[in-house]
Amino acid sequence: MELGVFYILAAVIVVSGLLVVTLKNIFHSALMLILCLFGVAGIYILLHADFLAAVQVLLYVGGVTILMIFAIMVTHQLTGKKIKHYNEQPVPAGLIILSLLILLIVSITRTAFEVADKAEPMPTVAVIGRALMTDYVLPFEVVSVVLLVALIGAIVIARRD
Amino acid sequence: MNVQIDLSLLYPHLFLLIWALLIFAIDFFMTEDNRPSLGYLSIVGLIITAILSFASDKGTTFWGAFRADTFSLSFNIIFIGSAILTIASAIDFVKDRLKHHGEFYGLILLSTLGMMFLASSSDLLSLYVSLELATIALFVLVAFMKRDLKSTESGLKYLILGAASSAILVYGISLLYGLTGTLTFAGIAEQLNTSFMGGPLFILSIILIIAGLSFKLAAVPFHMWCPDVYEGAPTPVTAYLSVASKAAGLAAMIRIFFEGLHSSAAEWIPLILTISALAMVLGNVVAVRQHNIKRLLAYSSIAQIGYILVAFIAVSELATTSMILYMIVYMFANIGAFIVVITFYNRSGSDEIIAYAGLSKRSPFLAISMVIFLLSLVGIPPMAGFVGKFYLFAAAIQKGYYWIVVLGVLTSVISLYYYMMVAYQMYFKSGDDNSRIKVNPTLAVAILIALAGTLFIGVYPEPVLSAISGASVTLF
Amino acid sequence: MATLEHYLILSAILFCIGVFGLLSRRNAVGILMSIELMFNSANINFVAFSKFINPDILTGQIFSVFVIAIAAAEAAVGLAIVVLLYRNFDIVNIDKINFMKW
Repeated sequence: MELGVFYILAAVIVVSGLLVVTLKNIFHSALMLILCLFGVAGIYILLHADFLAAVQVLLYVGGVTILMIFAIMVTHQLTGKKIKHYNEQPVPAGLIILSLLILLIVSITRTAFEVADKAEPMPTVAVIGRALMTDYVLPFEVVSVVLLVALIGAIVIARRD
Repeated sequence: MNVQIDLSLLYPHLFLLIWALLIFAIDFFMTEDNRPSLGYLSIVGLIITAILSFASDKGTTFWGAFRADTFSLSFNIIFIGSAILTIASAIDFVKDRLKHHGEFYGLILLSTLGMMFLASSSDLLSLYVSLELATIALFVLVAFMKRDLKSTESGLKYLILGAASSAILVYGISLLYGLTGTLTFAGIAEQLNTSFMGGPLFILSIILIIAGLSFKLAAVPFHMWCPDVYEGAPTPVTAYLSVASKAAGLAAMIRIFFEGLHSSAAEWIPLILTISALAMVLGNVVAVRQHNIKRLLAYSSIAQIGYILVAFIAVSELATTSMILYMIVYMFANIGAFIVVITFYNRSGSDEIIAYAGLSKRSPFLAISMVIFLLSLVGIPPMAGFVGKFYLFAAAIQKGYYWIVVLGVLTSVISLYYYMMVAYQMYFKSGDDNSRIKVNPTLAVAILIALAGTLFIGVYPEPVLSAISGASVTLF
Repeated sequence: MATLEHYLILSAILFCIGVFGLLSRRNAVGILMSIELMFNSANINFVAFSKFINPDILTGQIFSVFVIAIAAAEAAVGLAIVVLLYRNFDIVNIDKINFMKW
């Protein structure tokens, strides 16, 4: 049962991911990206990462991809100009990537991971929240500065003057 | 629950953060004529941060995530020093060519803050987050000349390659985490010492991490962004990129590899060795053909990181000390050279090497300073570059890596040729324009500081050496 | 029951798809989307390792939270530059950046 769900989600992710990088129409690519990110959220649920699945949907699907679609609409005006989006040298790039993939898969299957047999806390929110406020409070605060920098930077760059 | 937070270790960081926010805020209340004073204000803030860094205690806090030691202090001084020199060189440039003064200076301060956190990190998570703080601010700074096509384009190029390298780095970190089950450098080292054996996936994860970080270092084979971005970015940002960003990448490499992956050195030394050799050869050979001074300095900076990595493969206390020393030396010489470029550009509007013809008559001070900085980059005594390279190569020889040192010396000879081509233009050619170039006081002071650093360390390196000698104690 | 290897291979495939897009796409937004795929593949790794290697402290999941935040920040700045390039210079395709050699 779980394996069946995994294969369905994996198929969705791989197919939509491939479409993201190959479709001619950039707007369709963005829609496929949404589907792919939803698939990844499904994988998180399979892995009992409930909080992360929610973050994935809210932040990635709801935030980043919408931002991308905005950018596409601003830069192409959708109805006006023809949307040009083509690939260059896909065959040599594909061969390099294919060998990288085979290398990765062989290495992964050859490696014996030390799998721990412990149960994870459910729900995960409490553990993650406590960790963010104790062990990882410093990177957490630094990330807030990162977001501030991104905010100021995006405004400075994108505003008209 | 025990709370392990000792904020006194973070006073320099907190001060710099507040100061940067103040710069953003004060900008709102300033008239256009007063804005350049924000630059001086930023310099004051950086100097206070440097003093606080010297004064604050050493120790560990935030459940081990933050560490103040001699290593982080040495790198903090490099980051702060290059930020001060950069801002001093930028004030006129910003006034003439950029809008949004407050954001420009504030983002440099926040980028410096990210690098300072990076040098103090003791696990992969804080290392990654602070690296991104430094980098994202730089994405914006590179694209800051919004009316200039080259600047905007190089901003996009820098961002795309930076984001891609960060994704590669994260993927490598994820594999390393899976293999060792921990994110702290100490934990990784312990795992590697006790149970862990290596294997293809481990090597792959190291390759991915090196690939991600060598983007920051601008080392071969991830240097391709470097010449274009150096050429397109506002020149003060280029100066900052060429030193502070490289130093940050180096600090991250030393933290990860010397501290975490120390016991599997045999697996990654060949990789670093290859990168070092390629960087020295490619950087120096391609630099010969450049006509634009910023592109020439870009390729020379690729070569410089090759020299630094010569010491990296030694994995010893001497290696750490010599790399920090060379970074300081390189900071003075490279930013010094860029300040001369900026001064010249402010007046002439050109970065072509041809345009430097006759500079020795137009401004003897600029010409002789440039020659001194370039000689230091080659490593000719009595400039500081000689002492720096001497220690780098000594570290490699100590461990028996002779051929890479020979290669380093040979490529230095090539570098002498193209650096001296610039000197040749300045001294033995005459240009069309013979008007004198007046150097404004701030830039003159910045150049004098860089000259003083270059000559002082070259003649009398002991004080600097003894100050940084404790940096490797915590690593080994 | 899906094992750790299943998830790792899925993430490896997704990573390679992302790298392929990075190398072959010529549209700036398309490249940024490929990079998002790469970030997501790393996140799948983190979450899978978190579940199978040390499920009690969830280190991997926490790293993923940070990766998501930083990926969003990078995308925001990147899209701002894309919009600026389009508005000031009418460029979206990297191809048109002619004097920039890749």
